[in-house]
Amino acid sequence: MRNGIPAAALSEFVNEVRDTPHEAVMDYGINITWESGTRSHVEAKPMHVGGRRVSRKFSWKADEPRQLMGTNHAANPQELLLSGLGACMMVSFLAGASAKGIQIETLEIDFEASLDLRGFMGIEANSAVGFPEIQYTIHVTGDASAEAFETLHRASVVHSPNAQTILNQVALKGAIVSTSI
Amino acid sequence: MTTSNTTRGDASSQSPLSPGINWLSDLKRSRKPGPFFGEAQHTWSGASTCAVHAGSSDDPRTGAVGTPIYQSSTFLLEDDQYNSIHDGYARDRFIYARYGNPSQWAVQQKLAALEGAESAIVFSSGMAAITTAVLSFMDKGAHVVASKELYGGTYNLFNQELPSLDMSATLVDPRDFDAIEAAIQPNTQILYFEAITNPLLTVVDIPKIVEIAKKHSLRVIIDATFATPIGLRCLELGVDIVVHSASKYLNGHSDLIAGVVLGSRKLIDQVWPRMLTYGGSLDPHACFLLERGLKTLAIRMKAHQDSAIALATYLEQHPAIERVFYPLLPSHPDHAIAQRLLDNATGNVTFVVKGGDGAALALLKALRLPKQATSLGGVESLISLPFNSSQAGFTHQQRVGMGIMPGTVRLSVGIEDATDLIADFKQALGQMTDKTETTHA
Repeated sequence: MRNGIPAAALSEFVNEVRDTPHEAVMDYGINITWESGTRSHVEAKPMHVGGRRVSRKFSWKADEPRQLMGTNHAANPQELLLSGLGACMMVSFLAGASAKGIQIETLEIDFEASLDLRGFMGIEANSAVGFPEIQYTIHVTGDASAEAFETLHRASVVHSPNAQTILNQVALKGAIVSTSI
Repeated sequence: MTTSNTTRGDASSQSPLSPGINWLSDLKRSRKPGPFFGEAQHTWSGASTCAVHAGSSDDPRTGAVGTPIYQSSTFLLEDDQYNSIHDGYARDRFIYARYGNPSQWAVQQKLAALEGAESAIVFSSGMAAITTAVLSFMDKGAHVVASKELYGGTYNLFNQELPSLDMSATLVDPRDFDAIEAAIQPNTQILYFEAITNPLLTVVDIPKIVEIAKKHSLRVIIDATFATPIGLRCLELGVDIVVHSASKYLNGHSDLIAGVVLGSRKLIDQVWPRMLTYGGSLDPHACFLLERGLKTLAIRMKAHQDSAIALATYLEQHPAIERVFYPLLPSHPDHAIAQRLLDNATGNVTFVVKGGDGAALALLKALRLPKQATSLGGVESLISLPFNSSQAGFTHQQRVGMGIMPGTVRLSVGIEDATDLIADFKQALGQMTDKTETTHA
């Protein structure tokens, strides 16, 4: 099976969604709990795939390096953000390749990004709090031309949910439930 | 090397790939029922017509009537087969018998037609079917809510195997809908019930189970072995997946072990790769036997029911019998549900002999017609005691908790004439009464 993705099932899912759009609705959630210092514990909540519940017994941690007052026990939030972006772009790239009949042999995406903590610290009003830029390089080998891979690259970013979440403004609706002791 | 001019498999299934695809939205292949040799033949109004004709085909080379036995483990590979592997529709081509074999396809199409399903997969046993179906819809950490009146093999899957796989089950009273709903956890994915339970013949209110499942976004899997599609068309009631031990009524002759999973093409396509991994595919010769047995399913189920109700009615008035469980008896707790849901009742009758398991064993030895053997659904009557066979894995207290009292007898009424069965029970119960009177003399 090309790239480990059944193109027939992918096509059938696409056309099922065309007829019954609610099958395309995916509901996600995670719960993050403070453990100590900068370290936190994350658990995936049950997911809904087209309205059907899927158990997600996955958990991971986040931390900061010691230099940033952490214990360096896990990837930090920025690394997790980049991994979420990269993994999504990879799924998009592979799905697109499978739909086009391109056999991928190897695929790797290398990410780098810098941010200036003066924004986080509030020292410099003009400094961006988040990443001003994210750089990545896709390393791919497979049975397509460089031009075909570039076309696939552009299409995969346009259709990557996480890439588009980063590229476009997203509403962040928050609330706080506080208990004073 | 020979080259085939015709598709060896489901000709309606073709590659989703074509020139000019820029993104997923350009993919045109849609899901269809099957895989079938030709168009699905679901237009017959009668179950017997379906049972005789659906899926069965005559041999095109010789004109021999009836589906040939394709006793082949592997098939010639050409570009079409290779493409099906690369493009993800290998289920629709003949490649290797574990993936699919014409003998399997024939009986699968017949079973799908009887059940009103888009797709079916036959397995090497009912437990292979149940295990594969359950694990196909359970993800890491998942939980299932199931009936506490389960077949022993299914109970072992839930009680012994799921925890090893980091999964879990909660078993509840199948009549207690509040308890079913209360048992649902955030990680619950399946509600699993038997349409008619073993051995107490509790008739589960499937529409109510489906209603609860929809409310909580869950899948419903029903084991309909005791009901068969002649008695109950579960998918029409909103059930997602139906499983059967085909060794029982579906085959009907106590001469093979098989199982089947049925449902929409979408869901059965999710079962198929698990079947490839777990094994459990059905041998072509067993497929032939099952296909042949199925042809008489409708008339057999009618005969089972006719003899079962006659015998159950006789037993209920006999002084040596404590209680009789049969859904068509007005005394059965689920009589109203059975009347509402079942087009044909099961051939199983369960009863409790006065005097406990010892008296029940004595009855089995005194009977001449029913064979003392486990299993059920054959043309011959089979009789056994749950305490030392189907429910032997439970403790005495667990059995009592499930409602299986000492002296409980499980009788699978065959298609023998009711007059002969009643006469045999009359003489056997008479022997027991005589012995009791002699002992007391």
